[in-house]
Amino acid sequence: MDNTFSISKEPKIVAFVCHWCAYAGADLAGVSRIQYPPNVRLIRLMCTGRLQPGFLLNAFEQGADGIMVSG
Amino acid sequence: MLGLLGIDERRLRLTWISASEGAMFADAISSFVNLLKELGDHPLKESDVSLDVDPSLEKRSEIAFPLSTDQTDYCMECSICTGTCPVSRELPEFAPKQFIKRAVMKLDEDLIRSREIWSCLSCGHCSVRCPAMIDFPEFNRILREKARKVNNLPVESHHGIQQHVSRLQTRCHKQNRTAWAEQVGEFQDSGDYFYFVGCLPYFDITFRYLDLAPLNSAKSVLRLLNRMDITPVISNDECCCGHDALWSGDQATFLTLARQNLEVIKASGAKYVLFSCPEGYATFKNHYPKFFGKLPFTVIYMTAFLEQQIKHHPLSLRPSADNTVTFQDPCRLGRLSGDYESPRKLLKQIPNINLVEMERSRENALCCGTSAWMACTGCSKAIQTQRLHEAAETGADTLITACPKCRIHLSCAQSGTDMELEIKDIYTYIDSHIK
Repeated sequence: MDNTFSISKEPKIVAFVCHWCAYAGADLAGVSRIQYPPNVRLIRLMCTGRLQPGFLLNAFEQGADGIMVSG
Repeated sequence: MLGLLGIDERRLRLTWISASEGAMFADAISSFVNLLKELGDHPLKESDVSLDVDPSLEKRSEIAFPLSTDQTDYCMECSICTGTCPVSRELPEFAPKQFIKRAVMKLDEDLIRSREIWSCLSCGHCSVRCPAMIDFPEFNRILREKARKVNNLPVESHHGIQQHVSRLQTRCHKQNRTAWAEQVGEFQDSGDYFYFVGCLPYFDITFRYLDLAPLNSAKSVLRLLNRMDITPVISNDECCCGHDALWSGDQATFLTLARQNLEVIKASGAKYVLFSCPEGYATFKNHYPKFFGKLPFTVIYMTAFLEQQIKHHPLSLRPSADNTVTFQDPCRLGRLSGDYESPRKLLKQIPNINLVEMERSRENALCCGTSAWMACTGCSKAIQTQRLHEAAETGADTLITACPKCRIHLSCAQSGTDMELEIKDIYTYIDSHIK
């Protein structure tokens, strides 16, 4: 999958999402068959309060082009 | 923080999306993808850290293994190292002598996989006293390098944020670390004196919750230098000195950072590199030459430099308000670099200052309890509290340190007590006494 990204030069997004809000929102988007770009990889947290600043730096370090935090 | 690292802050987006807002989620992703396409390539350079380690350097560190067989044979099992170790006092399972004995008995593998190697503060209490002159911190540092290879990793403090910052600095296109200096004083891109600011701009953000403003130290240094008619070089391309990576066994990151720094300093044409952080100073003084040979410039610690310059450019300092101060010797400046006097001489430039010594000072000074942003445990807190009590017992109301980390660690420990010592940085203190 990483190879697909590097060939297409599509931006990679890491999204930290809350289990109860944005994750369910993403689920709804899927169930409702709303089309959205496949560039995002979701990381589900039970609450976005679990997020540590180090996670964000780590995501950039691991190659994310953008990070979305969504509660 | 992202701004400092030269990463566009628009690359981090916060949104509120509820469980019923599927369409909003899809829109948020689409608009973010469009923005990222506009912003272009990945914000960091490709990581070349793992490829960048020159095998000859790796080999050299093996040659420089500080514990030769001869030396271990000289170990007299006197246990002075363990007896003097501030960590052993709190954590009886940590015993430097045992480490040496285990290494002699070739139980290397077992030692490399042990958790205890991460407890050492590398404060040098043991090595200044060892009759066989065994450099235990250096010995342990090399064990850590090996430990990392077998995936024995330290517990990083503050969720590893400083370690990320160090590693990210090996891959930044352009940091934005000199913004603070523009409003404070004059600096230039090339010249004789290079002021190595170190991690202060990053500490200023990470430790905002302690309300210490570590960057004020750098601002004071710049003001003092300008007052002495020196316009130092301060560079945006300078990066972390690699001290923490080095002492946590991450040699690849250390070497990459060190190489970048040497190039930046060389490009500035500086003859003297000045440090206000003892860790940067000790790393440049003791470890850079070990890996890269003789450096093409002289490294000077800021207190020594100011103390020397003050003879030609006297600062008019106003007398100290009638308070008593005591000085915390940072281990990187004292035991590891042998400078105990220059900060004291500098402080004594303030008329009427009442500088008192703690029970343990100079080579006996107690460490501030944590090093390289790792293994901050109950043991660290116990050491820090002991040190604060020692300071309070002198009757001083101000504790002055020459190291930003000592100040952060001791202030953090004090926040959990009812003590009310003022913990100040030496440069800010001097600067605040200028007429």
